[in-house]
Amino acid sequence: MPDLARKILCSVLTAGTALVTLSMAPARADEPSAELLARGEYVATAGDCIACHTRPGGKPFAGGLSMTTPMGNVISTNITPDPDHGIGKYTEQEFEQSVRHGIRRDGSRLYPAMPYVSYSGMTDEDVKALYAWLMHDVKPVAETPPATELNFPANLRITMAVWNLVAGSTTPETGDSATFDKLRRGRYLAHALEHCGTCHTPRNMMLTEKEGSYLAGASLLGWYAPDITPSKTGGIGNWTEDNLVAYLRTGHVNGLSQAAGPMGEVVEHSTSHLTDADLHALAAYILQVPAMDDDVDHTPREQFGQVLNTPDIRTGELTRIDRLDEMDGQHVYDANCAACHGDNGAGTDDHYAPSLFHNGVVGSARPDNLIMTVLHGVDRTAGNEHAFMPGFDQKSDVQRLSNAEIASVVNYVMTTFGSGNHNVTAEQVGTMRSGEATKVP
Amino acid sequence: MPSEQDLSADVVIVGSGVAGSSIANELARAGISVIVLEAGPRVDRQHFVENFRNLENKPSYQGPFPSVPWAIHPPNQMTPNDYLHTTGPDAEAYQQVYLRMMGGTTWHWAGCAWRYLPSDFELKTRYGQGRDWAVKYEDLEPFYYQAEVMMGVCGPDPAVEDLGSPRRQPYPMEALPISYAAQQFRKLVSEKTPYRVVHEPQARNTRPYDNRPTCEGHNNCMPICPIGAMYNGSYSVYHAEAAGAHFVPNAVVYKIERDSANKRVTAVHYYDPDKGSHRVTGKYFVIAAHCIETAKLLLVSADEQSPDGIANSSGHVGRNMMDHTGVQVTFISGDKALWPGRGPLETNVIDNFRDGTWRNERGAYLVHMVDDNQVDLATSLAISKGYVGRELEEQIRYLASHTVRLFSHNEGLADPDNRLTLSQTHKDVLGIPHPEVYYKLPEYTVKSCEHTRGLFRELIGLMHGTDEQWTPGYFPQDHPAGSTIMGTDPRDSVVDGFCRTHDHENLFIASSAVFSSVGTGNITLTVAALALRVADTLKKELAHA
Amino acid sequence: MAADRSCFPTNIHLASPNAMRMRRALRMSRRDMLLGAMGAAVVALGASRPGFAATEEADPVVPLFLAVSQRLTDRDVLDPQISHALYAGIIHANPERREQIHKLHDLMASGSFASARALASAAEHSDPVFKDVIHEIMTGWYRGVADQKVVVYRSALMFDITKDAVYPKTYAAGGPFYWTQTPPEVAVPTGEPALSPSKFVVEPT
Repeated sequence: MPDLARKILCSVLTAGTALVTLSMAPARADEPSAELLARGEYVATAGDCIACHTRPGGKPFAGGLSMTTPMGNVISTNITPDPDHGIGKYTEQEFEQSVRHGIRRDGSRLYPAMPYVSYSGMTDEDVKALYAWLMHDVKPVAETPPATELNFPANLRITMAVWNLVAGSTTPETGDSATFDKLRRGRYLAHALEHCGTCHTPRNMMLTEKEGSYLAGASLLGWYAPDITPSKTGGIGNWTEDNLVAYLRTGHVNGLSQAAGPMGEVVEHSTSHLTDADLHALAAYILQVPAMDDDVDHTPREQFGQVLNTPDIRTGELTRIDRLDEMDGQHVYDANCAACHGDNGAGTDDHYAPSLFHNGVVGSARPDNLIMTVLHGVDRTAGNEHAFMPGFDQKSDVQRLSNAEIASVVNYVMTTFGSGNHNVTAEQVGTMRSGEATKVP
Repeated sequence: MPSEQDLSADVVIVGSGVAGSSIANELARAGISVIVLEAGPRVDRQHFVENFRNLENKPSYQGPFPSVPWAIHPPNQMTPNDYLHTTGPDAEAYQQVYLRMMGGTTWHWAGCAWRYLPSDFELKTRYGQGRDWAVKYEDLEPFYYQAEVMMGVCGPDPAVEDLGSPRRQPYPMEALPISYAAQQFRKLVSEKTPYRVVHEPQARNTRPYDNRPTCEGHNNCMPICPIGAMYNGSYSVYHAEAAGAHFVPNAVVYKIERDSANKRVTAVHYYDPDKGSHRVTGKYFVIAAHCIETAKLLLVSADEQSPDGIANSSGHVGRNMMDHTGVQVTFISGDKALWPGRGPLETNVIDNFRDGTWRNERGAYLVHMVDDNQVDLATSLAISKGYVGRELEEQIRYLASHTVRLFSHNEGLADPDNRLTLSQTHKDVLGIPHPEVYYKLPEYTVKSCEHTRGLFRELIGLMHGTDEQWTPGYFPQDHPAGSTIMGTDPRDSVVDGFCRTHDHENLFIASSAVFSSVGTGNITLTVAALALRVADTLKKELAHA
Repeated sequence: MAADRSCFPTNIHLASPNAMRMRRALRMSRRDMLLGAMGAAVVALGASRPGFAATEEADPVVPLFLAVSQRLTDRDVLDPQISHALYAGIIHANPERREQIHKLHDLMASGSFASARALASAAEHSDPVFKDVIHEIMTGWYRGVADQKVVVYRSALMFDITKDAVYPKTYAAGGPFYWTQTPPEVAVPTGEPALSPSKFVVEPT
């Protein structure tokens, strides 16, 4: 291995052995208290462990979710307390090493798909509680997911040591995180638990979060995590704290935006379960981070468009059942979207299907999220509400649209109700059909 | 230009509707090779939605589905008809419509998902009428549930509303909340009559299910649900394909080939649209081509070995044609505005007459108060009355909000004289004869309809109805059944209790063609349950092979 | 599934179904042709409407049709695009209508008719053919149909009149379970018809 790397490796390994702040013995003797377990469960929810550590149709926390990265697919591990397949043999100290430092029990390094850089900000108490809950209340599952195999040189986990130096880490917060004041709590939630920056902060060439661009927006290979700084032109600077709380709790705010894809999952598994106080803390914190204007969104995304009132002049002609000719954007919209979103774009009266004007997804200058939504639909449960829109990709049971049809309808929708025509091509749609962070059973 | 191309699979299925596709899906998931031959083309929803909106005669449920010339289906329900030629004193009552295309006729049904009652299977034993099935309700019960899960059926909790068909599992989805109009109707019936209105079990999503959305009440179940909240056979096609089944569209099967002993079916032959002939071999064959086309195919395949058609040693192929017929009345309710047409089309039923001791004399029936948007009809009526301008608009509002439509499903009875034969005068472009059906309504059904009229008059009175318009004569309800009837005796039936033909041990029929009675519930869930049982039988036999 | 046979035959409900159909056939000849053609190869999407071409070069009757329509619907504002399309359909079905619409407009301009009813009644009295013309105008605006074809569907006025209670099929905008709510009450109408009544023709399905 390269000389520099070996030197760094040696120094890191030496430093590692000095990290003996927690007990070495497996913490089994004492039964954890109900409060500790409850806290641990809440920390797991706020940290959204389940989102990555569970595959669709899989048992909770048993791993197996495949995440596409530029280096290849990272597959999440089983973190149930099964001794052979999960973390059953982990001591509390070993667990802390994984969560806050990205080092496995066997000494190998985790890929930062596991956001240990963020979790490094967790307090000792929260780590302890999380460990107790995972070990005590989560059902062990005797399944080992496939191993991650990335492309060279990322397949050499040792290179993560170098990466970690560049990425840096957060000094852990101290004390009882439940007693922090509102902004401190909001900061803790945003950085150490919800790890918003992992998606919403752009990354540099080394794929570490860019300094000074916190929450300024980043592509997720398919989906785009938008600028959520309080910029009044490129971010969410026109949202009130209550707006953002409602969004995080329910996944949608009429006239602003709605969550789908990875953010839909964040709402479903994590933020919809946070306490009201925590939601306000998180929202307040986010709305006061440094405002970063966007490169292409110069008008607030939710301010575009209006209701469309045009008559539906028709040909009155019918097509034979085997004529499946591609339709243009307006006809694709009429035949597939208008039933729920209205010929006028206003959605349903109860906003179950949102309006397409005054809609942050449609009003973005980036068509990414609209394309992904048309392809994959929406499936998001928050509280008692299960929001669902079918996808129109090649697996749809409702209607399978071609790349050209999806491009046409996206262009139609954005022109008619959003930020204008961004000339999405069939090729672009084709790339996004296959290239997103897919879940592989 | 004739050409020969050999396709082969363990199981060859003719027809891609709910029956054929659900079997294909089950078998493919069990690793069995399956080919499904569908006479019609691949289709999609968006073109049907646009066709519907462009259709001037919107009550024509066949309207949005102009067929292809090599697989014509009846264009409408008019007699005389361009394809299904009906004769006899009640010819018009058998003017069925159905669809020949990938996914089948469930593209335009109302999603009513009734289980038959236990007594429906024992009509002869219990009431001395009609015939008994060769299978009992309890044998079919697990498959009913499997079908309900497959389709996504919502229905009432039996502890609250027992519909009379015992069930071991709750419905996959909770009952659909009924519309204001249906609520008023239910209240009236409950308070002013000894009858009841129940929540109809429906293959319709009351929550997101199977990657399809919740029903939003577009009121267009027939002819086309615009969003896929209602089950149709195409989903089973997609799932079967994903599991490895091979579907061949535009494949019109015209011949069923047997071995020299005329015992086992060896192949089926189909035409492509250019009349190229193709032969498909397999170990097992399932005809799932709808009651009409299944019987037609068995007859069309007649040859020297089987001069009366395939699997027809009993002579009952094409006989015992059954359907529900019904009574229909529309009237203006004199009370509060009801505004039918909000929500799905068929959601609520008076089910008191599905069974009873009187069934030894007259047929059973169930009653729908249809939730059908009456605006277009009200407009046509008001214009014909001579209204214009403001007065016209008031009339439209009043008529649309007060029009009530009731209709019934009255059970038919197996009568061997009600018979499907091949037309001697009409052939399609491939040279295959059109189907012909002779139909005379059983007296059993006529008496049942009389009883229904009495009930309807009672309800009209209670609703202070005026301007009643009774649909004249008897009309089809597109639930054809019985054309390859089920029975224990091979001398008077075509298939046994497992839907295996008596004459050919590797030939099965999955269709309402096998029904020995037609009961009162819509037939599709029972078709699906029987099909899933066929799949179960085939899986077992192929595993032992 | 029931055959949809909603019938309001005003005086023929005792006739046999076939007799009804034969009587309809006289009126329905184009309809039957279209039904018969459904099994055969079909018209392409987006076929241009022949009527339009004829009216492209500033047909002076186009705005007259709009004016007459406004009077006959008692509406001050009607969509000119829809107007043009309906007019094109009506005169395509029957070229004589162009002259008749012109005359109807003359009649309207010659008097001061304060309501649709007043105009329609006067029109039928002056020439019975105006009853058919007015029927077609009503059918066009309220049902969205002209020349036995859909010209507009959801934009038909019948849906505007009832939009507080029901949605056009396939365009329900209430969200799941909207139908459980209570819709508006409707008082018994007191208005009178303007024209003499006609047989109510229900198209066969």
